[in-house]
Amino acid sequence: MAELDEIIHQPLRLRIMAALNALPVSAGLEFARLKKLTGATDGNLGAHIETLARAGYVAVDKAFVGKKPQTTVTATAAGRGAFARHVATLQEIIAGKQQ
Amino acid sequence: MIDSQQASAALNDINDVVQRVRQSRIYQNASLIIIMWGALVFVGYIANHTWPPQGYTIWAVVDLIGIAGSIAIAAFSGVGPGAGAFAIRLLMAFLLFIAFGIFCSVVLGHYGPRQMLVFWPLFTMLFYALAGLWFGYAFIVIALCSSALIVTAYFYAGPALLLWMAVVHGGALVLGGLWMRRI
Repeated sequence: MAELDEIIHQPLRLRIMAALNALPVSAGLEFARLKKLTGATDGNLGAHIETLARAGYVAVDKAFVGKKPQTTVTATAAGRGAFARHVATLQEIIAGKQQ
Repeated sequence: MIDSQQASAALNDINDVVQRVRQSRIYQNASLIIIMWGALVFVGYIANHTWPPQGYTIWAVVDLIGIAGSIAIAAFSGVGPGAGAFAIRLLMAFLLFIAFGIFCSVVLGHYGPRQMLVFWPLFTMLFYALAGLWFGYAFIVIALCSSALIVTAYFYAGPALLLWMAVVHGGALVLGGLWMRRI
């Protein structure tokens, strides 16, 4: 029986992974855009990205564009796989295969 | 473990975010095309004002550059699988759009230079407004604001129509594209 991924299951982390997973492989989202798309605040977005990065689900790339620092977050292959399994588990629960 | 209602809510949340990401990517790619057209038509109006007898040549060059640029942006801006097919559909849409515009303005309407100057931008804005029904309200806002400015120019700009159009049509597209990138 498949288990829900506790790291992804938290609502904001689920939204972050959903947003990153909707992009083509290796494409990322800039921090400010990810914040807007997920409805997060600066503080909690940073903390949750760190949790996902520690789990190996996202890669964080910090660079300077001109003089401005820019943080880009990308879903890793492991993150995409974990997200797909998590969604499959949610669908199984809805279908009544799990209680 | 969670129940089916909570699982359903989580999936709805995922779908909501996926829709937002798709919308955002459409806006990001389309805004590049809109800003490019804004800059091109700005240059076109100024060039047409400076060399009036060359009007048709100037606009043919502007249109060719714009169409080629739009297709290049659509093909290479990372729209993912299907980008090539999307670019071909975009080219076909442009060709149908231009053919219908020429048929209306030259064959049916016999428009003069002043009418031609506002017909094409207004016709383009109709295209934007229709696109907005599928791809997001920002296209409709840009279309309505630009159309209002263009119609105002037609009635009130007098001999300065080309310069007014450079500012209101080119400017509205550039500003609209920049605004689209922020939403």
